[in-house]
Amino acid sequence: MRIFVLWAMPLLAHDMWIEPSAFLVENGQNIAMRLRVGENLLGDPLPRSSRLIQEFVIEDAMGRRAVVGREGMDPAGLLRVMNPGSQVIGYYSKPSQVELPAEKFNEYLALEGLDSIAALRARRKEMGMDVKESFSRCAKSLLAAGAGSGDRVLGFPLELFAEKSPYGLTVGESIPVQLIYDKRPLVGALVVAVNRMNPALKQSARTDKSGRVRLKLGAEGMWMIKAVHMIPVGAEYASFWASLTFEMRAAVAVSKR
Amino acid sequence: MLLFVLLLQAHEIGTSRVSAQFRPDSYAIEIVTDATALGEKLEAAAGRPPVSVTDAGKLKRLLLDNDASFRRKVSLRFDGAAPVSPEIEYTVVPAIDATSAAAATIRLTGKIPEGAQHFTWNYGWTYASYAFTARSQTQWLEGGSQSKAVSLTDVIVAPNFYETARRYLVLGFTHIVPLGLDHMLFVLGLYLLNHRWRTVLLQVSAFTIAHSITLGLSMYGLVSVPSRIVEPMIALSIAYVAIENVFLNELKPWRVALVFAFGLLHGLGFAGVLSEVGLPRDEFVTALVMFNIGVEGGQLAVIGAAFLLFGWRYAERDWYRGRVAIPASLLIAAAAIYWTYERLTGVTT
Repeated sequence: MRIFVLWAMPLLAHDMWIEPSAFLVENGQNIAMRLRVGENLLGDPLPRSSRLIQEFVIEDAMGRRAVVGREGMDPAGLLRVMNPGSQVIGYYSKPSQVELPAEKFNEYLALEGLDSIAALRARRKEMGMDVKESFSRCAKSLLAAGAGSGDRVLGFPLELFAEKSPYGLTVGESIPVQLIYDKRPLVGALVVAVNRMNPALKQSARTDKSGRVRLKLGAEGMWMIKAVHMIPVGAEYASFWASLTFEMRAAVAVSKR
Repeated sequence: MLLFVLLLQAHEIGTSRVSAQFRPDSYAIEIVTDATALGEKLEAAAGRPPVSVTDAGKLKRLLLDNDASFRRKVSLRFDGAAPVSPEIEYTVVPAIDATSAAAATIRLTGKIPEGAQHFTWNYGWTYASYAFTARSQTQWLEGGSQSKAVSLTDVIVAPNFYETARRYLVLGFTHIVPLGLDHMLFVLGLYLLNHRWRTVLLQVSAFTIAHSITLGLSMYGLVSVPSRIVEPMIALSIAYVAIENVFLNELKPWRVALVFAFGLLHGLGFAGVLSEVGLPRDEFVTALVMFNIGVEGGQLAVIGAAFLLFGWRYAERDWYRGRVAIPASLLIAAAAIYWTYERLTGVTT
């Protein structure tokens, strides 16, 4: 049979995050890792695709290992908690290419706070030109198995690093986060925190000189912190989409563990 | 195909799929998607907390309750006119295990406006790329983006009787010439016995009747012999016929009987090929008969070529048997013995 394939333009770039079947886990527990793409933590499952996976790993107290899964399946990864403490899951994708009409691209730059790229396009008099962009996902998820639930740097091109464990915070407190690009703090980038059940509680801030922001976590439930960084590559652009997911529980529930 | 692969690399493809079917006056569109994810989005759109529902019964109720909202992000248009309003039927298939997700199957049906030429589709309830298949064409769409227009008037011709007949006739012929060197040499072996028409006719008829029998029986599933047995025996049959040519130059009754038996074997070999290709369900007999006729054509072409090349002018000469028939038969025998060894041991060069 002949295969006809046509691709339509994406309307806007979407977030991508890791959604585990549980955030507070026990040693020995099996967890499913769903990859999801969408907005405001509402999204669609992305089945496991070896074409897209650059790294899909878990790092715990004993080191790093691959997150396994069945090709084409959702959930994309399955793992067993092997050591107590923090479980940092990371998914770093190979770049995907998109072509965006000028208007959509400009809209997306404004939405994601990519002002320096907008300024560059203005300087180059490219505001009316369509764009070829390649984007890579740098998603992390922080799970806790008992005490010692801090984040770890996985070394992705763009990475959000929680400087305090969210599992040691109570609802209403702020989380200090550092944004790292190419092993160095990224200055002036927009970082946003979204709560799944209360999208209205969205928090955002620009990173300071040390690449840091503090974002208030004003509700229980699943949170995603996200940031996008873009660089020009010749006449085209490359973007990196960092996300970090975790869960906030009521103080009582956390202290019991 | 390469293009397809490159594009697949470039997109985050989700788990939703949409297919559209068009009859002369009606359409049916089926959306298969993750039911929980859709439920969350519908709840959020209604201003409620997007609780993850996993129970199939509850999910179905949730989808039914949000029907009006669901319709707002789905658009079906004919010829660019205002969107039509379909009948929608929601079903939810429960998750098969603890890690999988319940699947929603949403069926949209309705009448095609009279005289409509084109159909366009837009589905806004997914953020990932999804396949939209209509009239044998697949478009990869992003959620919320409009499909290219699907023509409702282009005739997509299903292979009909004549097309099927032609395909299987060609398949049968090419299985002998040029693809089936072993079958070609077998037929040539039959021709080399002697140049009398009666000899050729009797052997070819016996061979044809026999291979038609086993081909037919195999294709109806009544006979099945593994190819690891059939293929070496076919090679051996070629060697036998060729070697016999060296010692014999007239048609004996046992030769016809043996050729018949060998025909049964070759028929099993033809069946192996035909099974790999498959026979269309609705034109089974046509395809089977035409394949067989194609095989006959191939055999007759081999004999015709041999006749034109050397039989016609030299078969009556005294030196024909010594200089043509016997050396050619020996070459055929050598090749066939090698094939027998190769097919028995699985050693290939």
